Amino acid sequence: MTTTTSDPTPRQLCDFLAEYASCLFGSGATCIRLEKNVTRMAERAGMAVQLSILPRHIHVSVRDRAAGDCATQLVTTAERPVSFDINTRLSRLSWDYADGKIDFVGMMGRFREIVASPGSNPWAVLVLASLANAAFCRLFGGDFVAMAVVFVATLAGFSLKQTMAERHIDVRLIFVVCSFVSAVLAASDGLFSLGSTPDIALGTSILYLVPGIPFINSFSDMLDRHYICAFGRMMNAVVLTACLSIGLCCGMMLMKVGMF
Amino acid sequence: MLAQIFQDALFSAIAAIGFSAISNPPRRSYPFTALIAATGHSLRFVIMQPEWGGIHIVVATALASFVIGLLAVFFSGRSNVPPETYLFPSLLPMVPGIFAYKAFGGLAMCLFRASETTFNHYFYLFASNGMMAFFILLSMAVGAIIPIFMFKRISFQATRR
Repeated sequence: MTTTTSDPTPRQLCDFLAEYASCLFGSGATCIRLEKNVTRMAERAGMAVQLSILPRHIHVSVRDRAAGDCATQLVTTAERPVSFDINTRLSRLSWDYADGKIDFVGMMGRFREIVASPGSNPWAVLVLASLANAAFCRLFGGDFVAMAVVFVATLAGFSLKQTMAERHIDVRLIFVVCSFVSAVLAASDGLFSLGSTPDIALGTSILYLVPGIPFINSFSDMLDRHYICAFGRMMNAVVLTACLSIGLCCGMMLMKVGMF
Repeated sequence: MLAQIFQDALFSAIAAIGFSAISNPPRRSYPFTALIAATGHSLRFVIMQPEWGGIHIVVATALASFVIGLLAVFFSGRSNVPPETYLFPSLLPMVPGIFAYKAFGGLAMCLFRASETTFNHYFYLFASNGMMAFFILLSMAVGAIIPIFMFKRISFQATRR
């Protein structure tokens, strides 16, 4: 079989799809999106693809419909920060290839560019997340003092999270330490009698750590009957929530803040 | 009342934009995120008021999340962004944080209380707040995801040019 640059062999396509699926999964995509994107790219190349998605691995099997050649690849899912920008651009890339706007080699080039693109400005994210948590405090009935305390507690906790993540420290340890720091700072509202809603300040201060995307993706996978993956994501979210609670409880114990 | 609804919408929009920034979304998604979150959360706020039906928080959350899901699908087609991008930041203002916090607090207090009466009190706090947090989370996630599965064609063609 002669192969041109725009006409991949099953091996080439399989290797690419495995890497693509690994990055897309790592960026926070659901199983249904993964299957749809990968299938549409394989269809364009005249091949059939089967995916087996496990919590930490993806198995890709590609078969050339005409020649019958097969290729298979098992990859570990990429450990990347969740990025809906990359998720969006990788999904668009799959459509561009499926609609014939780009050839296989061009697609591989664009894929490398997308994967290497930098995330949002960390300073902007830090300020926005802190403002968001303060707004959150207001939604839960906190007064303006509680909002200010939550803003500072989030600013400190979130910047620590960014610094620790840069140094590739285990995410569970990051959650324990950051929730501890935020809780200790938020306890100052009650400790120095600053405002009238100290319990709301304390309860809200750690909410920026809530692992919402694994939770939501877990339910999406469950509705799509990807039960193993759904369970994996759920366990991940539960473990992170437990770490967050440990940090909060330790912070409260240190500051001798009663619960009720 | 109107001022309260407006305030609720404003703070949910700020919260949604900030939390959406954590998951690195495309920039064009921010205004839609704010709009969806403000609509969803103020809808829940309104239908939970006694004079507007006084719907229970779990049912109200499911309804508001369903509307968030529908809006996410609708705006995904317009903004060329997958609808999942809008879900987490829009749902987050409805996260039962205080219920979860009180549940964990109750559990911790159970462990350190010897007398039966105080244990029962804290176990009640743990169980009632924990159940509430669990069912609110469940209704949020399922309510918001169903529209994506209902309108698969729009949801998964949103990124097509």
